[in-house]
Amino acid sequence: MNSPNQGEIEFNAYTYDRRQYMFGLIGHSTSFEAARRKASDLGFDHIAGGDLDVWCSAPPQLVENVEVTSATGKTISGAYIDSCFVPEMLSRFKTARRKVLNAMELAQKKGINITALGGFTSIIFENFNLLQHQHVRSTTLEWERFTTGNTHTAWVISRQVENNAPLLGIDLSKAKVAVVGATGDIGSAVCRWLSNRTGVAELLLVARQQQPLKDLQSELGGGRILTLEEALPEAEVVVWVASMPRTLEIDSATLRKPCLMIDGGYPKNLDAKVACEGVHVLKGGIVEFGSDIGWTMMEIAEMEKPQRQMFACFAEAMLLEFEQCHTNFSWGRNNITLEKMDFIGAASVRHGFSTLNLQGQPQAVVV
Amino acid sequence: MPTPVSPEVAVLDERDASAEQLPDFTTEAYKDAYSRINAIVIEGEQEAYDNYMALGTLIPENKDELAKLAKMEMKHMKGFTSCGRNLGVTADMPFAKEFFGPLHQNFQKALKEDKVVTCLLIQALLIEAFAISAYHIYIPVADPFARKITEGVVKDEYLHLNYGELWLKNNFEASKEELFAANKENLPLIRSMLDQVASDAATLHMEKEDLIEDFLIGYQEALSEIGFNMREIARMAAAAL
Repeated sequence: MNSPNQGEIEFNAYTYDRRQYMFGLIGHSTSFEAARRKASDLGFDHIAGGDLDVWCSAPPQLVENVEVTSATGKTISGAYIDSCFVPEMLSRFKTARRKVLNAMELAQKKGINITALGGFTSIIFENFNLLQHQHVRSTTLEWERFTTGNTHTAWVISRQVENNAPLLGIDLSKAKVAVVGATGDIGSAVCRWLSNRTGVAELLLVARQQQPLKDLQSELGGGRILTLEEALPEAEVVVWVASMPRTLEIDSATLRKPCLMIDGGYPKNLDAKVACEGVHVLKGGIVEFGSDIGWTMMEIAEMEKPQRQMFACFAEAMLLEFEQCHTNFSWGRNNITLEKMDFIGAASVRHGFSTLNLQGQPQAVVV
Repeated sequence: MPTPVSPEVAVLDERDASAEQLPDFTTEAYKDAYSRINAIVIEGEQEAYDNYMALGTLIPENKDELAKLAKMEMKHMKGFTSCGRNLGVTADMPFAKEFFGPLHQNFQKALKEDKVVTCLLIQALLIEAFAISAYHIYIPVADPFARKITEGVVKDEYLHLNYGELWLKNNFEASKEELFAANKENLPLIRSMLDQVASDAATLHMEKEDLIEDFLIGYQEALSEIGFNMREIARMAAAAL
């Protein structure tokens, strides 16, 4: 076996394969170029040098093992699986589908109790209706081993609104909060939370499809349905839980000042679009752990503090493992209840996670 | 994760329905491609029969077990022969013999030199992983008759892969260097066989990309089971790409 050099990932997969993985994270690089760089760093030279076709045929890899100790003192171990998917494959329907299913199969075969579907993984799962593809070769996927992590993401984004609006002098009880992507799994949960728990003055509901918007409005018993162009100039807080079209241009001059923008979409690209004095962009759905985690994989997600920060959806898998809650906690669309958000939120605080806040200093969340 | 609205994500909504459809098994183009694919499968099973019988001479203590595995391969061969007959296709056996030629030669050479490790890598790992991946991809797009037969076959092939894995795992340290060398020599042959068959496979609605990835998953899994670490597996897989 090779001895890892200092600062290098422990490659002794054989040994690790024989220990119990308790939580798993399925992720991917943010671009093809980033993926090639990472593969080269990891010693996967045959893939690093390959073109996109080679990557389309590359199997998923369990690339990192990690141990995490909760604020309560409990330690769990987990594994990071790179699906070898890159966003450049989005237009290849079958490839994207295969990447997700193969990564899930690998997680299950490794015996991981609960695995979060990160980045585009859960989007592909839902949009391609992968529930229809439970059989992968000789493996029948056990859905209860997976979670989208959306409940924790929705809770974190909601708390980010509550924590950060006052820092900018925005009084939520008088403010209009626009939710862009309001009818999605996370969007609808954020709307539910803001409407029931924070008493925002008015919710502005923005999404592509009209009927789901009307259904949501009726469920919430309020909220105004608007187009993006109508909503932006009215809102003091904008929660983006939809990926931004590359071509979308936002005229910062029309925005309210101050304005809090929570970028909860994937990938996170709002910052570049609305850079302007008085408009404060916060990366949404990101949490910070109370101590360093000895992993390198959050570097590929371009986290500011990759040793501590991560997507809330990943943290959900850890929380479910800490809580011994082995179930597909976040699954399907519009199943996120306030009770589930309460449960995962309380676990998040208990085990030492805090939400990312504006001044770069995370604040312990008081539930 | 969020509901996507961006154009690059919106394409996710447009399902590629054509890729999910079954091919028309009655067209000349299908039958022509099938004549070669079917021949490869028949020849592959025949090779497997011969190879397991030959392995019995190298591992006399497992002779009976290997003969049992060989008999299964013979049964598979008969099953696949009936699949061709069912579609009214004559298997192109000369093509298949040539297709397996280089791998066949390497196996025979190793056999003569009593290189049991190389023989096991060729037959029990490479050929079995290749067969398992191809059968799994074939099953959803096969005609109903062939589908049933292939589903039965694929279960058996796992037993064969497991046999090779177990033997090599039990003799790992002594086999390691020979496995590196045998992999380097033979994995590129599998890759070139996949390339050769790609266009006929595509006619049967089996995509090359799927075949390669599924094969690599099975092969890497076997290498990991035997005892190779991640870096060694990555280095070995490089020979395929």
